[in-house]
Amino acid sequence: MLEISDLVHRFGERVAVDRLTAAVAPGEIVGLVGRNGAGKTTTMRAVMGILRPESGDIRWSGHAVGREDWLRFGYMPEERGLYPQMRIIDQVAYFARLHGFDPATARDKAQHWLTLLGLAGRELDKVVALSHGNQQRVQLAVALVHDPELLVLDEPFAGLDPAAVDALSEILLAEAQRGKPILFSSHQLDLVERLCERVVILEEGRVLASGTLAELRARFPLQLRVKVEGLTEWTAELSGARVLRQDADGVILALGTHADPQSILRAAQAAGPVEHFGFESGGLADIYRQLVS
Amino acid sequence: MNRTPTVRLVAGREIAERLQSRLTRVMTAVTTVLVVALIVIPTLVRSSSAPTVVGLIGPSAQAIGPALQATAKVADVKIRVVDIADDDAARSMVKNGSVDVAVSIGAHSAVAEVQQTLSPTIGALLQATIDRAHQRQALTDAGVPLSKILAALEPVPLSTAALEPPPVNQAARSVAALAAGLLLYISLGLYGGAVASGVAQEKTSRTAEVLLAAVRPRQLLSGKVLGIGVCALAQLGIAVVAGLIANAVVKGAVISSTVWVLLPSILLWFLLGFALYSFAFAAVGSMVARQEEVQFVSLPVAMPLVGGFLLVYLTIAEPSAWWIRLLSFVPPFAPALMPARIALGHVSAWEIVLDVLLMAASIYGMERLAARVYSAAIVRGGARLGWRTALRLRGE
Repeated sequence: MLEISDLVHRFGERVAVDRLTAAVAPGEIVGLVGRNGAGKTTTMRAVMGILRPESGDIRWSGHAVGREDWLRFGYMPEERGLYPQMRIIDQVAYFARLHGFDPATARDKAQHWLTLLGLAGRELDKVVALSHGNQQRVQLAVALVHDPELLVLDEPFAGLDPAAVDALSEILLAEAQRGKPILFSSHQLDLVERLCERVVILEEGRVLASGTLAELRARFPLQLRVKVEGLTEWTAELSGARVLRQDADGVILALGTHADPQSILRAAQAAGPVEHFGFESGGLADIYRQLVS
Repeated sequence: MNRTPTVRLVAGREIAERLQSRLTRVMTAVTTVLVVALIVIPTLVRSSSAPTVVGLIGPSAQAIGPALQATAKVADVKIRVVDIADDDAARSMVKNGSVDVAVSIGAHSAVAEVQQTLSPTIGALLQATIDRAHQRQALTDAGVPLSKILAALEPVPLSTAALEPPPVNQAARSVAALAAGLLLYISLGLYGGAVASGVAQEKTSRTAEVLLAAVRPRQLLSGKVLGIGVCALAQLGIAVVAGLIANAVVKGAVISSTVWVLLPSILLWFLLGFALYSFAFAAVGSMVARQEEVQFVSLPVAMPLVGGFLLVYLTIAEPSAWWIRLLSFVPPFAPALMPARIALGHVSAWEIVLDVLLMAASIYGMERLAARVYSAAIVRGGARLGWRTALRLRGE
């Protein structure tokens, strides 16, 4: 279990992370969501011990996180970093050895992950000779090679093609199923929605909202999009629902707890021919937009 | 799990990377060839200096030929004797340089014709040989038996009994001091620069961030310095051994005992200096935003290195000046000045011990400082860090 509480860090005058609190339970995939500069990378660096936060607690399995823990974490930084002139098998094995494996085991582990990530046959290539997507796979192999207890992945999907996204998703789900907590950040909200049990939404270093997708959804009113040909004034009489906004595709209604969609449909039909009637997805993208708007 | 110490792993990777790099191999080859050339070329030039050619004009001069050669051999002077028919031929041969000195012997006088001057050694050699020939002739004319003449003219061997050891070769010592300074200056600049650009490369390629998830900044720093240091020593070692072999093969300069005594002290201060400067170079390497900035940012570190080398000249001029002695204890200058002072023979044992202690302390301090700057700067993106910011920032 990873627990982050009241994390604060500043770069000069700028507050990068402001009293951030979050947790990742065993077997859970938690997504950090937020725009650039929201504090995702700083939080992950603090978890990995790469920067020392000004204040706040980071605990792993109940104790303050320390050097021995970091050695057992797997980390993929936002800006990839590999030795350009090193063969990829040597590179991955080197990181395995830094994490304490003997040379033979390190090499076996490196080979295992390179094969799993679709790089079999390229082991002797230098990093510089690989495509961006393949370099990313090597970076992932580096994060996974020592069978880490916790995975901290900063934008792991950035720049991957759809096949690689699927492959990585499967790997992450499998690792979570083995009981590993996974903390990852992404701008691809559909991916976060697909993979994560829980989401932490950050804005300017603060947690805007966090919880399971269902919990987040419950915090916001259900939205209904209705289009009645040529008309808008029919909404004036509705009870339990208010107009959020209006565009060319109709009106968006926020439903109160006592609103009855069926009576809204009847009211719309009474006003004129109904071209569209349906709930907005209520997906993470919608929730995120509402939160930061 | 059988854990290899992290510093050794980091150092091992540095060494492997350098072994694989073509640049390293070319550099090693060039340095070695240069050192060998420096030793072989002077001996080639020297061996082309032919023996002095002595021309003997006419029968009376030619008669002393064998005696002249015998005496020259005893005196270890290289000469070649040629017979010349007359004065005109001799003059033109001296003029065109095919003969260095032309000797003619009359009844009561002898003449040695040269272009400008006659070397004192050759002069003395000729004088002694001519005198002996003259004495032998006079004794023969007086009717002294040949056996008595030979006994009378038998040279009395002269041996030397020195009351004090021979004076130290001050010139050789100065050269050794200068060479030591130059060697340290070039290699510290070269390999220190390699540390700076290696660190900068890890920073700008963002490898440092992945590494720091597994390795402490200080381990990364020490491993890098150690790995590059081993490569530096190996490269220097190859050049020095090649130089010594070349010297033995061409029977070049007799390596004076000064140099042999000096070698360990050069090695010691090279290691101390390398450690001190490498940590400083690593710190500046971690402050850059782009690889191209390394050279500029390294200036404050390179300056004392240049300064130390220039001070070697002043040390040679005034080895016992109080301020030279003082400066040789100042850590940035000590690696250049202390071996120079040792070469010049003006150092007592306590000074060496004190200097090594001071160096060790400042290496420790520099390592702490470098680790602090490094861990604050290495994962920071954006513009180049100033010294003040780097020191204020908190690292690990």
